[in-house]
Amino acid sequence: MKEIVTTSGLTKVYGNSICIDQLNMNVRENRIYGFLGPNGAGKSTTLKLLLGLVHPTGGEISIFGEQLSAKSRMNILRQTGSLIESPSYYGHLTAKENLKIYAALLQVPERNIEKVLQIVRLDKQHNKKLSKFSLGMKQRFGLASALLSFPKLLILDEPSNGLDPAGIQEMRELIKSLPREYGMTVIVSSHILSEIDQIADDIGIIASGKMMYQGELNRLHETDSDKTLEEIFLDFTREAQSL
Amino acid sequence: MTSILELLRCEFRKTRRRYLIAAALIMTVLQLCWCLYGECTEEIVTHGWMLFLYQFPLVNAIFLPLLSMMIASGLCDIEHKGTMLKQLFTCTERNRLFDAKLLYGLLLITACVLLSWMVIVLYGFLHRFEGPFPLKLYLLYFLFTLCPTIMIYLIQHTLSILFQNQTIPCFTGIIGTFCGVFSMFLQNIPWLRKLLPWGHYGALQFVGMFGWTKETRYEYVYFETMHTDWLFFLALILSACLLYLIGRNLFSRKEV
Repeated sequence: MKEIVTTSGLTKVYGNSICIDQLNMNVRENRIYGFLGPNGAGKSTTLKLLLGLVHPTGGEISIFGEQLSAKSRMNILRQTGSLIESPSYYGHLTAKENLKIYAALLQVPERNIEKVLQIVRLDKQHNKKLSKFSLGMKQRFGLASALLSFPKLLILDEPSNGLDPAGIQEMRELIKSLPREYGMTVIVSSHILSEIDQIADDIGIIASGKMMYQGELNRLHETDSDKTLEEIFLDFTREAQSL
Repeated sequence: MTSILELLRCEFRKTRRRYLIAAALIMTVLQLCWCLYGECTEEIVTHGWMLFLYQFPLVNAIFLPLLSMMIASGLCDIEHKGTMLKQLFTCTERNRLFDAKLLYGLLLITACVLLSWMVIVLYGFLHRFEGPFPLKLYLLYFLFTLCPTIMIYLIQHTLSILFQNQTIPCFTGIIGTFCGVFSMFLQNIPWLRKLLPWGHYGALQFVGMFGWTKETRYEYVYFETMHTDWLFFLALILSACLLYLIGRNLFSRKEV
C-alpha cells in the first residue's frame, strides 16, 4: 500500500529540550492513522511539523511523495485539511461567512460550503455567529473547515475535545466514513485510547517525542493477548519515561 | 496561488461587523473638527493656505499615528483572537498574507489622509483664502504626510501581526506619538525628529512661521517655505523598505 506521509529522523528542539526525537512516521493511503500519546508527548508538534506551522530542527518530511520544503509546501497543503488543537474562526462572523473566506483562499467552489455544513450537521446554524456557538459546535465547525476542499489528507488533532458523548460518537462515525466515502487518508491524534481503538486502522504511539510503536492496530493487540490496549500503551509510555 | 485582489477582498470580509472603516472615518472627522471648528478670522483668511501647511503637520503627528495603531491592531487582532494564523498558514503563502493585510491597512489610511487633505482644500476655497491655491505645495504636503504615516503604519503592522498581545503595539504607538509630538517642540535638537518615525511629520515640515515676537505677537507674522531635506526623505523611503522586508521575513518564519 502506498505511503502518503513519511518522516525520517524528524527532530524538533526548543532551547535545550528535545520535543520530537528522531521520529519516523509512515502513514498509508486511505487508512485512518491513530496517533496516540500521553499529554505533552509531542503529538501536536508532530502534526504542526507536517503542516509546516513549525520548522523542524532536523529530519525530513515527505507528503504525497513530495519532500516538504518552502517551495513545495503550499502545493502539498492545498490537498491537506487540518484541525489543530482548537478550531480557528472569526468569532464576529457567521459559519457561512467564515467558510466563504476559506473557500476564497483555497479557491474551492462555494457549493462545498453547504456540503460540509451538512456533513457536520451545522447547516441549520450557518447564519449564527461563531462566538455564539457552543464548544462542541465550534469543534464541528473546525472539522467543516478542514473538510472544505475535500482534501486527500486530513490531519485532526484531538477532534473530540469539548464534545459530549453523543457528539464523540458522531465524530467517530464521521471520521470512519471519510476514507470510504471520500477516499481520504486521516491522521487523528488523541490521548484517549478507547477512541483510537474504535476508529484507527494503523497506530503510532509516541512518548517523550519518540515513536514507541508503529503498525497495524490489530497487530498491537496480538503482541500480548493477556494485556488490554491500555496496559500495552502504559508499558510503552513508561518505557519512554524511564529512557 | 490566491491573487492579491482576492486576499484584499478577504480582508474586507473579515472586517465585517468590526466597524473598522467607520472608526477610521470617525477619527478623521474628529481630527478635522478639532482643526477647523471655530470662527474663520481675517488672519486665517489672509494667511490661510500657508497657515494650514504650517499647522497641520503637528495635528497629523497626534492623530495619524493613533489612527495607524488602531487600524493595524484592529486588522491583526481578528487573526490572533480566533487563532486564525495556524489555519491561514495552511491556506495561503505567509508573505502574501502579510502583504495583503498591509496593503488593506495602507489603503484605508491613505483614504483617510486623502479625505482630510480634500476637506482642508475645500475649506480654503469656501472661506475664500487670499492668494492663489498653492497646488504644488499642497501636493508636497500630501506626500510628506503620507510617507511618515506609511512608515509608522509599517511599524504598527509588523508589531501587531507578530505579537498576539496587542498591548505591545498599542503601548509602542502611544509612547511613539507622545515622543514624536514632543520632538516637534524641541527646535534645538532637530535630529530627534529625524530619528523618531513619529517625529517625521516635523522633520518634513516645509513651511515656517516668521516675525513672531513676544511684544508684537502675530501682528507681523508671515509664513514662508523652508529648505526641504530630500536626502532625509530618501533615507525615510529606504528605511521603510528595509522595515517592510524585516517584518515580512520575521512573519514568514513565525511558528504558530
